Amino acid sequence: MRDVAEIVVTGMGVTTAVGQGKERFARALFAGEHRFGVLQRPGRQLDSRFVGAEIPAFTPPARVAARDLRTASLTAQVALATLEEAWTEAGLDEADPFRVGLVVGGSNVQQRELVQAHDRHRAKPRFLRPGYGMSYLDTDLCALATAAFGIRGLAHTVGGASASGQLAVIEAAEAVASGRVDVCIALGALADLSYWELLALQSMGAMAPEHCADAPEAACRPFDTGHKGFVFGEACAALVVERRGARPPREHAPYARLAGWSVQLDGNRGPNPSPEGEVRAIRQALGTAGLTAADIDYVNPHGTASPVGDRTEARALRESGLTRAAVNATKSITGHGLSAAGAVEAVAALLQMRHGRLHPTRNLHDPVDDSLHWVRGAAVEARVRHCLSLSMGFGGINTALCMSACEPGRA
Amino acid sequence: MVDMRSEEILPLITEAIVEVLPELDGHPFAESDSLEALGADSMDRAEIVMVVLERLDLEVPLVETHGPRNLGELAGLLSEKTSARAR
Repeated sequence: MRDVAEIVVTGMGVTTAVGQGKERFARALFAGEHRFGVLQRPGRQLDSRFVGAEIPAFTPPARVAARDLRTASLTAQVALATLEEAWTEAGLDEADPFRVGLVVGGSNVQQRELVQAHDRHRAKPRFLRPGYGMSYLDTDLCALATAAFGIRGLAHTVGGASASGQLAVIEAAEAVASGRVDVCIALGALADLSYWELLALQSMGAMAPEHCADAPEAACRPFDTGHKGFVFGEACAALVVERRGARPPREHAPYARLAGWSVQLDGNRGPNPSPEGEVRAIRQALGTAGLTAADIDYVNPHGTASPVGDRTEARALRESGLTRAAVNATKSITGHGLSAAGAVEAVAALLQMRHGRLHPTRNLHDPVDDSLHWVRGAAVEARVRHCLSLSMGFGGINTALCMSACEPGRA
Repeated sequence: MVDMRSEEILPLITEAIVEVLPELDGHPFAESDSLEALGADSMDRAEIVMVVLERLDLEVPLVETHGPRNLGELAGLLSEKTSARAR
């Protein structure tokens, strides 16, 4: 019944600060673009100068009713726009809706909008919008998406802190592998941080400090010895995961096969990473894919620019024998999408695989580890047959996902 | 805002309806229209009434606005509530 060998990605959508849609996103990746600056969206600052990257504009899909858009959060609207791209590419209007599922990665993903509502109604709480009673839930994203797209197979959220996006891909793959549905969309939800989360993330030392606002373009520097913490970036991505052969063949070949994955826990409540946990995740993902470290051509790491996180991850890659693989850091371009990151980076990895090019890592001048094969400066040509993407989250969660080029043929 | 006549409240109601149900923009509303017949589900109806209450700065429990069967009756009820407050 469970056949991991035939689980493929047939559609993708992505919305980030450097652009909406795969084509625009791929161009931005290869050019090493960025949109880092002092955050402008209402509810992001409180006598502060937090730095990050915000989505300048996006188009919500026509299939969503105007009445739903009015009360849909930014997170939900971006999710719907991103789902539309993936849904259309995979031709899911033709699929049996009872065999299609949705797993949304992320928890507490609408914080800024909630704080805005609280602030607005502080003086007159009785006028709080009644619909807040349902829209405050993260599962409102599932509700809106199932209503708009007619999804009937399954829909729920999964939380794994900054590994949520990759956890969603893994749970979608599991839902397909188990036969529960034929197709499952994994969504890494936009983490809409308010000034409260930004303040605490800065205070705890995870986020780059506000004085980075003096040179926002240089703030986000994964794996560079000048790294000072992560820099927030609004983002969202969706991947359509399905069992090959479950639906009639389509014209386009799948992006890749999900060859192996792993979720490993450290048994640790705190934010600190663990090299052992990361190595375990890498080894198990490779093992289930039937691959060794030497087979991996490219690693898309978690790479947040947290000093301890970067050094721990570099060590885990080295100890796993991933010294031949090229490594870059997508967050140097997008910023850290938190709940979205793992899904955004899976999309970034598959776009690079399809284009046969690897994007540069911005601001990587003095790498923390010289034994790894960094891509920096400019994009490089590369044939990627097997790649590995990693995500880590507060609370001791480590995930690894191995993706392999498909044998030629239709979806 | 103090005592308001129902003719003054009616436009606030239709404005709120269009805000919550944008597809009704340009719809010719009549006092005899019911929110239900206009396509408002129970959540939409609560949202519409709350928008009007906020514009009137009228703090009454939403449950006290459940009786009216159409827009005219709702406007009448809210007018009474503003009068009660004005007294």
